[in-house]
Amino acid sequence: MIGPAVIFDNVTLELGGTRILDHVSFRIEPGSLHCIVGANGGGKTSLIRALLGQMPHTGQIRLEGEHLGPVGYVPQVLDFDRNVPMTVRDVMALLTQRKPAFLGVSKIHHADVEAALRRMGVLEKEHRPFGGLSGGERQRVLFAQALEPAPTLLILDEPCANIDEPGARIVEEVVLELNAKGVTVVWINHDWDQVRKLAHSVTGINRKVLFHGVPSEVLTWAEPKAMAS
Amino acid sequence: MNAIYESIRVTVQGLAANGSLPQAFTYQFVINALLCTLLIGPLLGALGTMIVVKRMAFFSQAVGNAALTGVAIGILLGESYTSPYISMFSFCILFGIALKYTQYRTNLSNDSLIGVFLSISLAFGASLLLYVSAKINTHVMESVLFGSILAVDYTDMNILLVVTLIAALVVVPLYNQMLLASLNPSLAHARGVRVRLLEYVFVVLVTIVTVACLKIIGAVLVEALLLIPAAAARNVSRTLSGFVAGSVIIATLSCILGVLMPMQLGLPVPTGGAIVLVSALVFVGTTIMRATLSRFRATGV
Repeated sequence: MIGPAVIFDNVTLELGGTRILDHVSFRIEPGSLHCIVGANGGGKTSLIRALLGQMPHTGQIRLEGEHLGPVGYVPQVLDFDRNVPMTVRDVMALLTQRKPAFLGVSKIHHADVEAALRRMGVLEKEHRPFGGLSGGERQRVLFAQALEPAPTLLILDEPCANIDEPGARIVEEVVLELNAKGVTVVWINHDWDQVRKLAHSVTGINRKVLFHGVPSEVLTWAEPKAMAS
Repeated sequence: MNAIYESIRVTVQGLAANGSLPQAFTYQFVINALLCTLLIGPLLGALGTMIVVKRMAFFSQAVGNAALTGVAIGILLGESYTSPYISMFSFCILFGIALKYTQYRTNLSNDSLIGVFLSISLAFGASLLLYVSAKINTHVMESVLFGSILAVDYTDMNILLVVTLIAALVVVPLYNQMLLASLNPSLAHARGVRVRLLEYVFVVLVTIVTVACLKIIGAVLVEALLLIPAAAARNVSRTLSGFVAGSVIIATLSCILGVLMPMQLGLPVPTGGAIVLVSALVFVGTTIMRATLSRFRATGV
């Protein structure tokens, strides 16, 4: 199984009269691990939201390939009312099944949900209130939900922003495992060393595409300071 | 359906006649009221959990106020002034959709926009009702706002039953998607949820539920029953199942006790007020319980 290619074709996006993305075009190869880098406010998250169909834009965003299966998405943070009484299991049920989450995790999903939580090292937290978890623990649960059902395209919006070192290591391992199985990974990442180490390709964005290519080639000259300016 | 209601009435009245049930059950209006509460309690209790999560607390109040305009339009169009359901449903659904449509095109928060629409709908509805007041009983406005659970007829019960079935058929398969759409739209999109469509569906659903309950318990009480049981259940729940079950149980018990207690104890309290007071007592109790438990946990007792 090889995940889909992702094609951004002349994507322009405006918010409140401000142009966030300006004629952005690039292609992510099927089954590749692709990182998107750039300064804060440069339009990376907006691009991801447009990819998810959440933001109106001009131009085209297409997925091409034989396996257009489930999309796994890990947001930067989950902005929600922490007082809503939901355990980690409730959140997994909410995100992974059709049966109402208040009736519990369905039998057919039970083993997969447990496996995903175990893989992210948060199985022992499954009965804890989701709102009571630390930022890093919540992020691990969010990552676990993206693993069920098994995605063909995994979209990560700075998933390690609030995660401690062991958590970040697990994220890295899981991403590499999935990518080795053919899952296409689109990863907004601020850690340039990690990008150099893991990514097959990288795109630098600050409203426009600044560079695109293999990290060893394009990141040699494109420094973070240049990106910020 | 009327035959089923009749058979229930005859059975219950028989049980009351031989002393198995309290004397109050010999009255048809009490049986009708209790049948309604058995639908309204679970319906509003379950829907209330989503209203609380979506922070749409005052939406049903705004719809209730919009119903005043619906009543006035119905009277002008020649509908029965006691049950102008066609105009109420039509106008309130348009009102709810217009509110959501406006929300997607402004930067106003949910509660601010609902507040604006609530004020407009009350002013417009009251003015229009006053204009047509020569043709109607002046208690119509009071009836829309406060309802009259002891005066429901089989038509009101049939409408409530149909709306309850529609709500169950819509909410059960879409519960997760609707909740997810309000928790995190991006995550919902990634899961293939059509966020905007579902938001409109939810608004229409709350609107038809509110209108179906208006004549029975009134706009003020609909809002109270959507909010207070869910808020009380949230105080003492740690899980989603506890939250939903608690809200349904509190809402249903409040309705039943609110109907029966004033009659059994001879209290000079209207039924609607009694229902709200019972649920409010539960809310106060759960709030105290939560605060006490938090203090114990903090002190490590």
